[in-house]
Amino acid sequence: MERCDVFVVIPAFNENSVIGSTVADIVNRGYTAVVVDDGSTVPVENFLIGLPVYRLRHAINLGQGAALRTGSDFALLKGARIIVHFDADGQHDPALIERLIAPIRSGKADVALGSRFLTDSDSHEVPAVKRVLLKAGVFVSWVFTGMWLSDAHNGFRALSRAAAEKIRLEENGFAHATEILELVRRSRLTWVEVPVTIHYTDYSRGKGQSVLNSFNILIDLMLRRLFH
Amino acid sequence: MTSIQGILIACFLMAAILASIAFRSRLVYRLLAVVLFLSATVFVFFPDLTTVIARSLGVGRGADLLLYLSLIAGIHIALLLYRRTRELERRMAQLVRAAAIRDAQMNPQ
Repeated sequence: MERCDVFVVIPAFNENSVIGSTVADIVNRGYTAVVVDDGSTVPVENFLIGLPVYRLRHAINLGQGAALRTGSDFALLKGARIIVHFDADGQHDPALIERLIAPIRSGKADVALGSRFLTDSDSHEVPAVKRVLLKAGVFVSWVFTGMWLSDAHNGFRALSRAAAEKIRLEENGFAHATEILELVRRSRLTWVEVPVTIHYTDYSRGKGQSVLNSFNILIDLMLRRLFH
Repeated sequence: MTSIQGILIACFLMAAILASIAFRSRLVYRLLAVVLFLSATVFVFFPDLTTVIARSLGVGRGADLLLYLSLIAGIHIALLLYRRTRELERRMAQLVRAAAIRDAQMNPQ
């Protein structure tokens, strides 16, 4: 499998130049990058000039879940063998993509989930408040999906083509992270956790999830149970 | 006929007309609106009837029974509207996503 068969889907909403260097790093390593602009006020394409990437744009803001689905659907159309979900804000390290997709390449698993809590050095990177919140997230994920993971709402993950065809996200917002697990479970896909380092910067922290928003996600999850 | 009875009948009539226009293509809803209008009219002219029904259900006053019923109806409507909003959002997302995929571009280098 060539590296260009690995499609890296990057949802972007009101990003700055950080996305440019992130995407450049990804394409320089030979992966195919798909940037989905989720209705940003300043179109993301301004930061992607000269980079060989696929650009998609939602006419209005729908949410990260919807952007991931758009990017995945497009990647499948283009014949992707592996789809990687990647954050635009510089938190994820393109050098770790190979490690993340290794279990999928070798056929060991259909889905690889990045985790910040598998090694001590990785978990030290996580701010204390965030750590508590994520542990609560682990519990919530377990309640909704029966899967006990070491990390929750880690946006760095990879799916085999077969898995991506089965995982059709309906959740437009951030509840998609739990929805993915639900679909993994329901489709009886095999999964594995892979240690990843997440680099927190002031910029990425500003873009990340606030404590308050976690309650919104929880309510989204409960409503999803009621109305589906 | 007291003035409140006149006002209520006028309001119910208006609501029934609006409902039958809004649900033009849904016969069941239209019939429901007519039935609701007729029973509301009966209760406006014979308010003591509500108390009789309330008593038989173990509620003290007819007005209280109406309050409970409207509360249930209100919650029901809120949930129906929520579900409809979600469905609309889902369809809108499908449209926006399809357009994004259709218009996808490879960056010129």
